[in-house]
Amino acid sequence: MATIGEIAPAIALLPLASFAVALASVVFAPRLLQKGGAIPGILATAGSLVLSVWAFVHVGGGEPIEQELLAWAAAPDSFELTLGVLIDPLAALMLVIVSLVAFLVHVFSLGYMNAEGETGLHRYYAELGLFTFSMLFFVMADNILMAFMFFELVGLCSFLLIGFWFREEAPASAAKKAFLVTRFGDYFFLVGVVGIFAAFGTGRFVGSEGFPHLAEEAIAEGHEILGMSPETGVMVLGLLVLGGVIGKSAQFPLHTWLPDAMEGPTTVSALIHAATMVAAGVYLVARMFGFYALSPTLLAIIALVGGFTALFAATMGVVKDEIKQVLAYSTISQYGYMMLGLGAGGYVAGTFHLMNHAFFKALLFLGAGSVIIATHHTHDMWKMGGLKEKLPVTYYTFLAGSLALAGIVPFSGFWSKDEILYESIVHGLGTDGGLGVLLLLAFAFGLLAVFFTGFYTFRMVALTFHGEPRTEVAEDAHGVGWSVKLPLIVLGVLATVAGLVNMAPLDVEYLHSWLDTTEEAGLLTSAHHYEEVLHDVAHVEAATLTPIATAAVSLGLALAGALAAWRLYGSDPQPHTDRLGSIKELVGNNYYQDEYQVWLAEGVTLPLSRAADTFDQVVVDGVVDGVSSVSLFSGRRIRRIQSGIVSNYVALLTAGLVVLLVTFAFMGGWF
Amino acid sequence: MIEALLAVTFVSSLVVFAAPDRVAGKLAALLSLAPLAGSLWLYTAFDGSGNALLPDGDLAFETMATWLSIGDLAVNWHVGLDGVSLPLVVLTTLLTTLAIVSAWTPIDERQSQFYGLVLFMEAALLGVFSALDFFLWFVFWEAVLVPMYFLIGVWGGPRRKYAAIKFFVYTNVASLLMFIGVIALVFALPVESFGLPEIAQSLRAGELGSLAGIQPGTLEVLAFFAIFVGFAVKVPVVPFHTWLPDAHVEAPTPASVLLAGVLLKMGTYALLRFNFTMMPGVAQDYVYLIAAVGVVSVIYGAMLALAQQDLKRIVAYSSVSSMGYVILGLVALTPFGLGGATFQMVSHGLISGLLFMTVGVIYNTTHTRMVGDMSGLADRMPFTVGVFVAGAFAYMGLPLMSGFAAEVFIFLGAFDAFAGAPWFTAAAMFGIVIVAGYLLFAMQRSLFGPFRLETDYEVGRAPLHDVVPLVVLVATIVLLGVFPELIFDMITDAVTALSGGVA
Repeated sequence: MATIGEIAPAIALLPLASFAVALASVVFAPRLLQKGGAIPGILATAGSLVLSVWAFVHVGGGEPIEQELLAWAAAPDSFELTLGVLIDPLAALMLVIVSLVAFLVHVFSLGYMNAEGETGLHRYYAELGLFTFSMLFFVMADNILMAFMFFELVGLCSFLLIGFWFREEAPASAAKKAFLVTRFGDYFFLVGVVGIFAAFGTGRFVGSEGFPHLAEEAIAEGHEILGMSPETGVMVLGLLVLGGVIGKSAQFPLHTWLPDAMEGPTTVSALIHAATMVAAGVYLVARMFGFYALSPTLLAIIALVGGFTALFAATMGVVKDEIKQVLAYSTISQYGYMMLGLGAGGYVAGTFHLMNHAFFKALLFLGAGSVIIATHHTHDMWKMGGLKEKLPVTYYTFLAGSLALAGIVPFSGFWSKDEILYESIVHGLGTDGGLGVLLLLAFAFGLLAVFFTGFYTFRMVALTFHGEPRTEVAEDAHGVGWSVKLPLIVLGVLATVAGLVNMAPLDVEYLHSWLDTTEEAGLLTSAHHYEEVLHDVAHVEAATLTPIATAAVSLGLALAGALAAWRLYGSDPQPHTDRLGSIKELVGNNYYQDEYQVWLAEGVTLPLSRAADTFDQVVVDGVVDGVSSVSLFSGRRIRRIQSGIVSNYVALLTAGLVVLLVTFAFMGGWF
Repeated sequence: MIEALLAVTFVSSLVVFAAPDRVAGKLAALLSLAPLAGSLWLYTAFDGSGNALLPDGDLAFETMATWLSIGDLAVNWHVGLDGVSLPLVVLTTLLTTLAIVSAWTPIDERQSQFYGLVLFMEAALLGVFSALDFFLWFVFWEAVLVPMYFLIGVWGGPRRKYAAIKFFVYTNVASLLMFIGVIALVFALPVESFGLPEIAQSLRAGELGSLAGIQPGTLEVLAFFAIFVGFAVKVPVVPFHTWLPDAHVEAPTPASVLLAGVLLKMGTYALLRFNFTMMPGVAQDYVYLIAAVGVVSVIYGAMLALAQQDLKRIVAYSSVSSMGYVILGLVALTPFGLGGATFQMVSHGLISGLLFMTVGVIYNTTHTRMVGDMSGLADRMPFTVGVFVAGAFAYMGLPLMSGFAAEVFIFLGAFDAFAGAPWFTAAAMFGIVIVAGYLLFAMQRSLFGPFRLETDYEVGRAPLHDVVPLVVLVATIVLLGVFPELIFDMITDAVTALSGGVA
């Protein structure tokens, strides 16, 4: 009987098999799989889920899984590039999350795609399989080059799925934007990867041979990194990798692709936002937290970017009219919180929120998908209303997700968001110097965003489900099938109770001890190890503060936001945000972030390329043509040669060879 | 063995010349399977090690026979393969077969001459990659030009004459320059033959004397740059690249496939063999200049591609960009740099071949290549568009495809190769963003969105024999992307001795 340690790669290879089956069936047997590949996809992701749980249990026994998959490339006296599997507590947790969400999305797709008579389903399921495969291997990657490879593949799959309805302009454009913006971030990431190899000779994430530990030693011993002081070297490399994180996790200023990505099927949005593409960025920070924890500057930047993004995106969520747009901005904002948590040194808090968010955001997107099919593909919340009675399962599960998102006790999001805020204020107060001050600033951003989160969340709930139906489609909303309800119920339960695993204010810290499970194995990835590094190297100190205080303040703000939204939109909603006037104009246009990026691409880069093209034709090519027409051939002769017969060319060729031979002979002293 | 490969290919070309037009295409494809099978056999039976030109080199399939002598210098029939040349030999035979099949649809006149020329060119290309005597090598080198000249000039587009002449003049002037450079070296060295290993080892041993009053140091630099420019035209690198887009746009699809896929690699292969193997010291002295040429080619070539509207021009300019990476990898003189550069030669051959073929398939149906003339082709040609997307992402360096492996090897090899190298490498790497830009914009506008076509043709699915070569190429690209060691192992074995330049 094989052990999970041996067959761990199958966790990712099963969805690859479903990709292959779906792809083969579209070519060879388009009618064989009537469900368009859904069955292989469901079986494969179910298999991944079972194996992930198995791996989770195995790791829980205190022993991580490590296995080399492939000696990818090597050269004598140089780097060895390998692909390998590493499952430590963090990876095991993420594997379960990803395979669970992927499985539920596959099931939901039966109702969302198949039942709605979509075409191109083989392609859909093939891409979904590839997406799951890429993300699962990304999570299991044991070195940063392999992580980059699957990070990019995740980007490809997002491109393909966002552009699923390629016959329309908007999805094709959104897909391009998603890939291009994240590619811009990945450029820095790749430079960082190459730099890490050049500096440390390895890309391994863990252990005493891993690059985070080598960097720690370099700082301790004062060795230079790439000709820079070790502190600067770590900061530069960390910032470069962070470029990829900011792109994928849609942090300011590379967040602009994500709202457009709503053009993809809603099931895909659920997968992208909860468990794959966007999660990949933050997961990477958690994966190499031992590296980021070395540099106070890096921590401050991560926290500040995160805190700012959390607030910035939350304000934009307030004025959106489409249900998926609200959710998109909430995703940006929530990943901002995770970054804030990690930047504040709250490794457990950030990971905790990553988990909770995966459940409640998948739930909210699938809930929105349920609403969308029930209302015959309506996205505008102003055309909904009163759906509570028509879609009870959707309503109550969506409500659970919303309470989690807004951070209302005891739903999951409350516990993790509170822990993030707590970590940032105690470390902000306790740490000396710039890091402390910046953490407090980031904390202020994060705290303020709580109010907006509560507001936009309950504005969305009220507009969609409460009041009277405002249009005929809302009036006629039909029920949804079991394949839609089942995933909602599973996720609804998780969004409600998942937070109970780490109720820090009540001293319940199962997740914290889970992340310490394999401490004995020497991977140097335990929460405990990170706390030591933060304390010893980055000099992060915690002030004493009762956790109840921040919990009470953030809960109060969330409730205030939720109640305000309820008062304004609960029964007879009006477009109140119109009263904001020019502020609404500014926020509604997303602070003109898209405009300046489009201007950079189309107003700067494109004219520059045209100028280069003109320069090339007139100057570079012109010089050559000019020289040739003056010296080698006159214009008249060129015409003659061009209009000549084949013998002319042969003569030319012979002449060329004769010139060569004569030169040769002359130089060789034959004459 | 290599003689048999060359002879079979050459005889095949004669047979096809003599065959009637009606059957020439099928016959040529069939006959081209022989060199393909032969080269694959060479791959499995390969037992060489080390670099062909250096003392540690143990060549596979080597033959050496005295041929004639010029003055007191011997010209030998000397052929053999090492880890650098074998992958290029396989690339040549594979692409030739696929190019022949892809020609069945577009080539509708004078078929026997067309396919005969293609096979003749294949024989010459195999000679270029296996010859180890300068004189012999030069004969093959020049022999490649002739068929390509006719392929462009006879079967090309409206401005084919201009493009063919431009191609011919550029490459011939370049050949002359290179020839003078090499011969100057030969006469200033105490060598007894034109054997490339002898020349290389003598040069590396510092045995260069003076010639016509020019001191050895100056002579070596002058020769280096004469040879460098000669090959740079072929590659091509900026600013010697302007013949390439014209040649590509006018050339028929199968000729473009071979031009981008194999002919450009003659230039980079020769740069590796001559400049960076024989005179690494000069390369190191002028490392900033050469690296700058590479970086400028990458970025400038990509910017030019961004400005184009013709799909074929986009792919053509992007070749300039991709070849810039090769220059950077070569000048790094590290195992990963040199190995990555060689890997990129093979990888880019496959990927650019794939994209040119796909553009060709689209052109066969739509009779236009202009981005603005069409949109939403994915609706009518789902399979072809699927392959186009795969090829475009391969070009963008998507992991698990060969392009990523090649680029990341080069970046790893170059990043820490010389003082200031991180800046050059990071600048060149920005090419991966621009390439995504122009290919994604082109795809969005021509392949996606609602279907529209300015030219008035019925658009349907492409015939099977048009898409089979595409599938073979995609499969090969993925295979090499997942298992680069299939060839990278032998490549690094052959180039490692060059790393570090002169000790």
